[in-house]
Amino acid sequence: MRRPDILWRLGSFAVAAALVGLWQLTADLKLVSPVFLPGPDKAWTALIRGFSSGDLMAKLLGTLAHMLYGWLCASFVGIALGAAIGASKTMRDYVAPSLEWLRPLPVSAIIPIAIALFGLTQGMALFVIAFGAMWPMLLATIHGFAVVEPRLYEVARTLHMSRLAVIVKIALPSASPDILAGMRLSLTVALILSVVCEILAGLDGLGHWVLLSARAFRSADLFAGVILLGIVGYVTATAMAFAERRLLRWRGVGH
Amino acid sequence: MTLPSITPLRPAVASARKPQIAFDRVSLDLGGKTILDTVNLDVAPGEFLCIIGASGCGKTTALRLAAGLYQPTSGRVTFDGVAMTAPRRDIAIVFQDYGKALLPWRTAIGNVSLALETAGVPKPQRADRIEELLVKVGLPFHGDKYPAEMSGGMQQRLQIARCLAQEPKVLLMDEPFGALDAMTRQSLQDEVLELVRASGVTVIFVTHDLEEAIYLGDRVIGLLPHPGRVGIQCAIDLARPRDQLTTREQPQFLALRRQLFDFIKASEA
Amino acid sequence: MPHWLKPLVLPVALIVLFEAWARATDLQSDSLAPPSAIGRALIEALGSGELWIATRDTLASTLAGLLIGSAIGLMLGIALGLSSGFNRLMDVTIEAIRPIPSIALLPIALIAFGFGYRMEIVIVAFACIWPMLILSRAAIGGIEPRLLEVARLLRLTSADRVRKIVIPAALPRIFVAFRLAAGIALIVAVTCEIAINPIGLGASIMAAQQALRADLMLAYLIWIGAIGFALNAGLLLAQNSLFGRAALAEIAR
Repeated sequence: MRRPDILWRLGSFAVAAALVGLWQLTADLKLVSPVFLPGPDKAWTALIRGFSSGDLMAKLLGTLAHMLYGWLCASFVGIALGAAIGASKTMRDYVAPSLEWLRPLPVSAIIPIAIALFGLTQGMALFVIAFGAMWPMLLATIHGFAVVEPRLYEVARTLHMSRLAVIVKIALPSASPDILAGMRLSLTVALILSVVCEILAGLDGLGHWVLLSARAFRSADLFAGVILLGIVGYVTATAMAFAERRLLRWRGVGH
Repeated sequence: MTLPSITPLRPAVASARKPQIAFDRVSLDLGGKTILDTVNLDVAPGEFLCIIGASGCGKTTALRLAAGLYQPTSGRVTFDGVAMTAPRRDIAIVFQDYGKALLPWRTAIGNVSLALETAGVPKPQRADRIEELLVKVGLPFHGDKYPAEMSGGMQQRLQIARCLAQEPKVLLMDEPFGALDAMTRQSLQDEVLELVRASGVTVIFVTHDLEEAIYLGDRVIGLLPHPGRVGIQCAIDLARPRDQLTTREQPQFLALRRQLFDFIKASEA
Repeated sequence: MPHWLKPLVLPVALIVLFEAWARATDLQSDSLAPPSAIGRALIEALGSGELWIATRDTLASTLAGLLIGSAIGLMLGIALGLSSGFNRLMDVTIEAIRPIPSIALLPIALIAFGFGYRMEIVIVAFACIWPMLILSRAAIGGIEPRLLEVARLLRLTSADRVRKIVIPAALPRIFVAFRLAAGIALIVAVTCEIAINPIGLGASIMAAQQALRADLMLAYLIWIGAIGFALNAGLLLAQNSLFGRAALAEIAR
């Protein structure tokens, strides 16, 4: 990092700190009722207390488990299904339009159906999260397969590559930028649906924590939960972006 | 339009042996248009055949037929007397757009490896073969580079290395140096001549550059456009090894250049 | 088979098969209903006022939140896009707030505003700020530098520069961002209603589920899907007629 960059970065942190200070001031002067807005000091204390004596850790792990299990299921099914549909022109012609029509459907609308099918259970949550998170990956994989450079398929034909080898060695890597972008989007969807399912079904997790805190008007605990959810979102997105950069190194170089 | 007279073929090349690739009254229609019309063509083993012609004459199409990527509408294309119904592993094709024909997510080593993997070469033997091929095409220290990190000339060398990894009997080259600058093009021409001399591979080389065709070929075929058909054949008797300066200054070279230039001009009229 | 027919084969086949299966097994279920029953329930719901009221509530919250969130996001995006210093200074703040899942704000909005339109609008607005901010910032940053030089040569004032050069040049991409934000707005609104807020289509579909009316529940699902489809299609149409090929080129980038 060059020196001016470091200075800008420091300035950027200073701005964020100043905003937190402003938040503290607003809370201290009671410009907004403390029932709605606890100060950052209170939220921080609640966060520490939640981890040391409360069950915030369990809730955090609960949300992470919901999110990651759902997301992994979604990745597996989404990419496999996407590859199966995307690898064949016929399948693409017949199946892809139907999937495109479903794209604008707000995916949370399947929650009632999942509840009717599974009840208010972990299974319901897993189904909803996986189903919702699968969508971006499925569509991204199909798209990625559809736009593989035709020249590469000709190379594959002159080399006599098997159908499986073409999918594994040509189509999947070629579609990987699309697939990884879909996986990144899915991560956000999985987090949101985890919270919604926890709120609805009372499953152990941060969604349930923030809802209970709100019901009891414990706003400091509520803010602690929201901050933690923000951190989960940030860390998972950053990890995914890092993985993406590593896996797509071949793309950035030389441009 | 008057066609230039057809020069007899050099006997050593064409007559004695059976053709390796033969076009037998080949016609091809694509999208209701006749691209090639009744093309007859024999390519002898070890021959370096260049195909020239105005744009739209179907020279690339002819190459793709030879590769088995297209099937003729009528007539047939044979390889060692057997009809071609699909691409063969012993026929390699070097595409003009090297940027599209390489796997951007694999390094140079990985790209050459693709051909070896597909041919079922066991893993322990691959590394040495790849190294040898990269040296052969002049990329000895670039094995870990991705195509995006290479110049156009290097990428085309890499594509040639992958084709050589197929251990082809026939090398099909579709305007392989068309997108390269003049200096790179000349050195690649000489390298390809050397590779071909060392391996004895048969080459069909499509180009729009008349001098390149004469410089490289044992024989040059000119196609006429709309629909594509053979319009001229010239045997090239220039001595080998050829030299970028002296060969291009020989009277015979200049006469051939004149003859082919007139042919192209007449075919475009 | 004609090309336009292919996409219809799968849905029609599924509907027919499902109907046949439901009839053959005399389906009695809390979660599934034959397509014919869903169709009847949808027609019945369309005939009653309830569905229209729910639709109005959902769309009102969606649009209000969309407009507020987009306006905030657009203004911030333009400011950040024009001034790289401001952009760098706000970087940490934005990256800290952006990852908070909008739905996590639901309980805060709940105690601040109670049930109803207001909490939903706030959450929708929060969700819409980010795509608008990020994409309009990128749109401004992607303006041909030559155009900004022209603005400087013409000695335009800052206000004129934004009004006459920056916004028109970035408009196609900003509209694409708005279309994305609209899709997100509807999703967030419906999600709020399903999770907590007792108004709109989300609440209606939950009510149908709790009443064990599988046919009505699925009818609502189809209706919600149709609204999502119509919203997206309408905005696509607007985009194409407003910006035509320019917008398509922007998407391709």
